[in-house]
Amino acid sequence: MSSEFEISRSITIGQYVPTDSYIHRLDPRVKLLLFVVIVVAIAFNTSYIGNAIGLFLSLYLFWASKIPISYGLSGVKPAIPFIIILALLQLLFQGQLFSGGKVYVDYGFILITSESIRLVVVSAVRFIEIIFLSSVLTLSTSTTQLTHSIQSLLSPLKKINFPVHEISLITTISIRFVPTFAIEMEKMMKAQASRGADFGTGGWWRIIQRTKETFPIIIPLFNIALSRAEDLILAMESRCYTPGGNRSSYSVYKTLAKDYLVLLVGLLFAYLLIFYPFPF
Amino acid sequence: MEPIIRLENVSFSYKINEKTKVSVLKNISFSIIPGEYVAIIGHNGSGKSTLSKHLNGILTPDNGDVWVHGNNTKDTNNKRSIRQTVGTVFQHPDNQIVATIVEEDVAFGLENIEVPREEMKKRVDEALNVVKMSQFRHRPPHHLSGGQKQRVAIAGVLAMHPDCIVFDEATSMLDSFGRKEVLQVMRKMNNMGMTIITVTHHMSEAAEADRIIVIEDGQIVMDAPPREIFKHKQELKNLQLEVPSVSQMAEGIHQQFPDFSTELIQEDEFIDEVMKFSKVEVI
Amino acid sequence: MGARPIIQVENLSHTYMKGTPLEHVALKGANLYVEEGECIAIIGHTGSGKSTLIQHFNGLMRPESGKVIIDGVDLSKKKVDVKTLRQKVGLVFQNPEDQIFEKIIGDDIAYGPFKLGLPLKEVRERVKWAMSVVGLDFEQMKDRQTFALSGGQKRKVALAGILALKPKILVLDEPTAGLDPKSRNELLEKIKRLNREEKLTVIFVSHNMEEVAMLADRIYVMAGGKDVLCGTPKEIFTDKEKLQLHHIGTPETVQVLYRLTDLGYKVSVDAFSISEATEEIIKVLHGTKEDLEDVQRV
Repeated sequence: MSSEFEISRSITIGQYVPTDSYIHRLDPRVKLLLFVVIVVAIAFNTSYIGNAIGLFLSLYLFWASKIPISYGLSGVKPAIPFIIILALLQLLFQGQLFSGGKVYVDYGFILITSESIRLVVVSAVRFIEIIFLSSVLTLSTSTTQLTHSIQSLLSPLKKINFPVHEISLITTISIRFVPTFAIEMEKMMKAQASRGADFGTGGWWRIIQRTKETFPIIIPLFNIALSRAEDLILAMESRCYTPGGNRSSYSVYKTLAKDYLVLLVGLLFAYLLIFYPFPF
Repeated sequence: MEPIIRLENVSFSYKINEKTKVSVLKNISFSIIPGEYVAIIGHNGSGKSTLSKHLNGILTPDNGDVWVHGNNTKDTNNKRSIRQTVGTVFQHPDNQIVATIVEEDVAFGLENIEVPREEMKKRVDEALNVVKMSQFRHRPPHHLSGGQKQRVAIAGVLAMHPDCIVFDEATSMLDSFGRKEVLQVMRKMNNMGMTIITVTHHMSEAAEADRIIVIEDGQIVMDAPPREIFKHKQELKNLQLEVPSVSQMAEGIHQQFPDFSTELIQEDEFIDEVMKFSKVEVI
Repeated sequence: MGARPIIQVENLSHTYMKGTPLEHVALKGANLYVEEGECIAIIGHTGSGKSTLIQHFNGLMRPESGKVIIDGVDLSKKKVDVKTLRQKVGLVFQNPEDQIFEKIIGDDIAYGPFKLGLPLKEVRERVKWAMSVVGLDFEQMKDRQTFALSGGQKRKVALAGILALKPKILVLDEPTAGLDPKSRNELLEKIKRLNREEKLTVIFVSHNMEEVAMLADRIYVMAGGKDVLCGTPKEIFTDKEKLQLHHIGTPETVQVLYRLTDLGYKVSVDAFSISEATEEIIKVLHGTKEDLEDVQRV
């Protein structure tokens, strides 16, 4: 029997799992670039077949990075209720916006057509694909690699005084602290439950009560986050970190022939997803 | 010798709001000589932590000055060289780790001061060696024990080749094993010539130092070698501080055997005294 | 064993993040028995399973395999009244001051009793009682702001928040970690009083051997997810081989006495307090003196 409080288990973002697969060894800049391009491509593609291919690809990447699929699925699980609610809302209320195709239901403001069903199904699948892809990215790439890649991909923007380094550092530190906070939240829920708090009782429609129930968790977590942030800033400053300062880099990445090859394949794939007229 | 850190009439207060200020440090002056091993002790709220944050310019005094190698911490141009001279290891192991891989975290400070890559590799190797963490270099730090994490943090500071390291209650979150690990590293670095300043409320840790500065209510109330300090048992008690167990035991024995020394602060000394004492009694 | 144990753990196992790459075994076959009114210390290194074990006591975790019976309630059964269980077993986490969320001390302590659905008058009584037990003056402190308290005071407030549930069993994870000596001694006194006078069964996790020796009736030593050793402080701290085998520290006094026995002095090592240890050494010093005088006479 697993515990009702095991949150850290369901968070797959931010947990680097070193399995030394070829996905791990890819140039992180290539990985990040492809991630962005493929996510955009998926966002453009509205066909069933296209998204089925996308889903297949993200599952393949999980397999190729030697990270158990079950681990990826546990990351999707907590999002399922949201996906379902979102899908229902879209189906019921957005039919008018995306009318077209065959009409199945037309009752008052509710209009369900083959096009609106497509929209709902595709956007749910898209959501899952994106969770999978970002999990693979963060599970196979250390935060430092991520910082360096974000930095080098954004470096052209430096010319227009865009704070490239700051942005990339902030991003990676937030990712680095996701698992830490999951653990913290788990501890806090347990501590408050120990003095009688109950979470998730009463139906979800009792929004006010349920919101109130989260105060004993949210308020202390907020305090902890602030004091952690304060500590971290002190520690970074003590180690000579200056915002906007120049830095050298410990890890260097060489883009090898195979990286270019993967990049090429990935770009081609994205191109197809965006421009190929899928029949269904 | 030219002091590495010199405090001159340092005062500092925290602003709570526009009207109220809480005075934390009151007119503190002292100097630290290169190679010294100094413990700053005081109970929670005595101002010792605020004091330690003045030593590398994280905080600057409202009144008075702090000089590091003759550079004033108030001068922002000196910031980098001061922080390279005086490194700090903080209390919470988790909150001072920036990277997700041990060696990359050790390199973080070096990246900030733009050390070239080849040099960086060398220094990271060295630092990890000193704290005996080389075999963990490719591991994610959040799976290490508290003592190991603190050793990684020490390596990160050590790699920057500081002249002095401040340990700001760096052992207070550790279990007895973790504490021992960290204390050993501190001793080792001091033997290598590094100036060590440790802020603590553990008396047995303070006993390790060459000199103890006792802080109470933002002021220095005692500043002397441990042996001298631990003689003042009643004053320390009034300051809510405890004397090491062996000193207390020596005191008890002294009451029965007036020749038994009360100036003992370390276990080895105590054992020696017991041995010596049972021999002296013979002759 | 006489009375029925109030806590009974048999062959308990637990694996975290099962089925993920980060899976790790926290408990494998742990056993523990606690009788009503006992004060039990659990010691062991980080990762030995202590925290996981104590989270089973109030049903935060359910036995994955093995048995946990708390005051007659079998937690491996599907239907367990967790609410009553959590009232009966007060669990104080490490750094409990983190969990304070109300602005005013009194409100925060009252959170638990209100959640039990008690009437206002009863809640007030309980808050008053809990505050007096931890040494906070009710009239003076109940309306104070929580954020302005010192670390030691915050911890007292957090402890009072649990005591206000009026638990039968009090479980504490590293209750004194991070406190300065004065606050630590105060807190230890309170815990002792709760055990001896209020007759609470107390179980605490600690790595401070002085406080273990001072408080505990019995000690459980955990290692690798199992209970490897159990006994009175006297039994544990005088078993030198086992101490070394499991890398268990001892109170400083015991450490000194061990070194003296190694040197051939006939001291007994079960003196945990400073005064006992001093007595012990004085006795020996008298002894050697007499022995040596005998020798001289001859």
